[in-house]
Amino acid sequence: MAKTKEMHGVKVRETRADQVFNVANLVFWLVVLFVILYPLWLILIASVSDPDAVLAGEVIWWPKGFSWMGYEAVFQYDELWGSYANSVFYTIGGSALSVVITLAAAYALSHKFAGKKFINLAITFTMFFSGGLIPIFLNVRDLGLYNTRAIMILMNLVSVWNLMVARTYIQSSIPYELYEAAIMDGSNHFTYFIKCVLPLSGTIVAVLCVYYGVARWNDYFTGLVFLRNREYYPLQTILKEILATLSVSADSDSFFAAYADNLGGLQEAMRKAEVAKYCCIVVSTVPAVILYIFMQKYFVKGVMIGSLKG
Amino acid sequence: MTPMQSRPVSRHSLGYRFQRSVRRDWQLWVLLIPALLFFLIFCYFPMYGVQIAFRDYKAAFGITGSKWVGLKHFEAFFDSYYCGRMFRNTILLNVYGLIFGFPIPILMAILLNQLNSKRFKGFTQTAIYVPHFISTVVLAGMIYLFFSPTSGIINKLITSFGGESIYFMIEEGWFRPLFIGSDIWQNAGWNTILYIATLTSIDPQLYEAATIDGATRMQKIRHIDIPHLIPIAVMMLILNCGSLLSSNTDKALLLQTSGNIKTSDIIGVYVYNTGLGKAQYSYTSAIGLCLNVINFVIIMTVNAISRKLSDISLF
Repeated sequence: MAKTKEMHGVKVRETRADQVFNVANLVFWLVVLFVILYPLWLILIASVSDPDAVLAGEVIWWPKGFSWMGYEAVFQYDELWGSYANSVFYTIGGSALSVVITLAAAYALSHKFAGKKFINLAITFTMFFSGGLIPIFLNVRDLGLYNTRAIMILMNLVSVWNLMVARTYIQSSIPYELYEAAIMDGSNHFTYFIKCVLPLSGTIVAVLCVYYGVARWNDYFTGLVFLRNREYYPLQTILKEILATLSVSADSDSFFAAYADNLGGLQEAMRKAEVAKYCCIVVSTVPAVILYIFMQKYFVKGVMIGSLKG
Repeated sequence: MTPMQSRPVSRHSLGYRFQRSVRRDWQLWVLLIPALLFFLIFCYFPMYGVQIAFRDYKAAFGITGSKWVGLKHFEAFFDSYYCGRMFRNTILLNVYGLIFGFPIPILMAILLNQLNSKRFKGFTQTAIYVPHFISTVVLAGMIYLFFSPTSGIINKLITSFGGESIYFMIEEGWFRPLFIGSDIWQNAGWNTILYIATLTSIDPQLYEAATIDGATRMQKIRHIDIPHLIPIAVMMLILNCGSLLSSNTDKALLLQTSGNIKTSDIIGVYVYNTGLGKAQYSYTSAIGLCLNVINFVIIMTVNAISRKLSDISLF
C-alpha cells in the first residue's frame, strides 16, 4: 500500500482514514475479481481435465488428470463446425454491412439539413416502441425472408444506440472547419466522407466492429425464431442443444449419440459428454473475448467519447 | 420521409423546403437511405402489422384482409387464468433486477476510480468487461453446470459444509436469484463504462483542492463524485424503467424448466411459446402490444416526472 500520493510532484501523505479506505477498496476489488474470473477459470480447467474428476467435482483450482478427450469429441462433431462456419459468415458479413451503413448514416446526421429533426425522431422512436415479436415475425415471413441466410444478416442491421454513438463521435472529434476547407477545395459529401471522415474514424470503427460483431456472434434469438433448416443454424443454436440440457439424454440428442459412437458405450459417453460441454463453451466464447482484448485499447476510449453526450 | 413534423421556420411551404433540401443535400440523403430503409422495413412495417392484434389473423387473407374483431384478444388475455401470474412474474423479475442491479455499477465505478495503482486499475477494468462478451446460451449453460445437483461446484461447496444439495434449476424460488445474479455477474462491470467516463471527465483540480482542504477519500466521493454521477444515473434509471416489462426473453427461455415455471413464466416467453409455437398470431400480438404500450407509457411518464423535478431527462 502506498502511503503517499503524488500531486504536482509533491508527495502528500495519506491520512489514516484514507489508508483504511485503500485497504478496504483493494480487498473489495480482489473479491470482485475472484467472483468474475473464477467461473471462467473453472470452465477452462474443467475442459482439459479427466471427465471422472470433473463429474466428482474434484476440479477446483487446477486441471486434474489432464486430457484432451473433450476437445477430441468436439472436433469430431461436424454439425458444430458447420454452424461455426455459419456464424463466422453471419458475423463478418453482417457486421461489415452494419458498420458501413451506420457510419454513412451517422455522417449524414452529423450535418444540418431540412428534415433531420423528423428523421432523428423517427429513428429514436424505434428504440422505445416496436411492433412486437409476432408482427416482426409475420413481416419477415411476408417478405420471403423466413428460413433464409439473408435474415441472419438483415435482422438487427442498424442499432439506434450505435448510430447515436457514431454520430456523437463524428460531431465531436472531426472539426467542422475541415469540412469547410474540403468544400473549398472542391470536394463533395461523398469524397469528404471517404477521404477525410473514414480515415479519422478508426476508433469508432473499432468500437462498432466489436459491438456489432459480438452481438451477432452471440445472437441466439434470431436463429431460434427465423430459421428452420439445420444447415443454416448459427453456432448458438447448436450450442444450446448441447448445453442447456438438465440431464444428459443420449438418445434424444444427436451430439451425444455421435459421441457414443466414438467412444463405444452409451453410459461412458453420457458421463464424458459433461466435459465436452466445457470444451464447447471454450471453443465458442474464445473468438468474442479475443476480439475484445485486441480491440479494447481503442474501444474503451471510443465508447467514452461517444457516450459522453449520448 | 418528409419533414412534416419539423416546425415551420420559413414562409415557404413544407413541400418546397423538402424539395430544396433534397436538391441541395441529396448526397446526405443518399448516405442516409440504407439505414432509413432498414428502419422502415424492419421497424415500421411491423408497427403497421400490429393491427392484427385487432383482427383474427388468417394467413390466406393476410394482415390487412383478416376480419376486424376489436378488442376480443385483449379481453381474452386479461380474462385468462395466467394473465395475473405472468404480469407479476415479469414485473417482479424486472423490479428486483433494477433494485439489485442498478446501484452496483455506480458503486464499482466510484471504487475503481479510487484505485491508486494504474496497472491494477487497468487490469481490473479489462477484467470486469469480459463477462459481457459471453453469450446468453453459454451463460445459461454455465448456470446449469455450476449449479448442477450432482457435479456442480456450488452444491459441492454446500455439501462439504454439511448442507443438503439444492436442485437450483427446478426449484421455483431459485429462478429469480439465478436470473438476476447471473445478469449482475455478466453486465455490472460493463455498465460501469458510462459512469467511469463521467468520473474521468471531472476536473482534477476539484480533487486537488479537496485534498488541500483535508478531505478524506470518503468525503471526496460524497461531495465530488456522487453529485457528478447523479444526472447520468437518473438518465440510466429512466432508460431502465422503459423496459420494466420486457425481460431478456431468450435467457428466460433458456433457464425455464418444468420445475420453475411458476416464476419463470414471463410475458415474453409466453408470447414466444404460444405465438410461434401454437401459431396464435393475433392473440399474442395483442399481448405484445399491451406490453409495448405500457413500457412506452412508463418511460414517458418517468421522463416527464424527472424533467419536472430535476431538469434531467432523455428528451
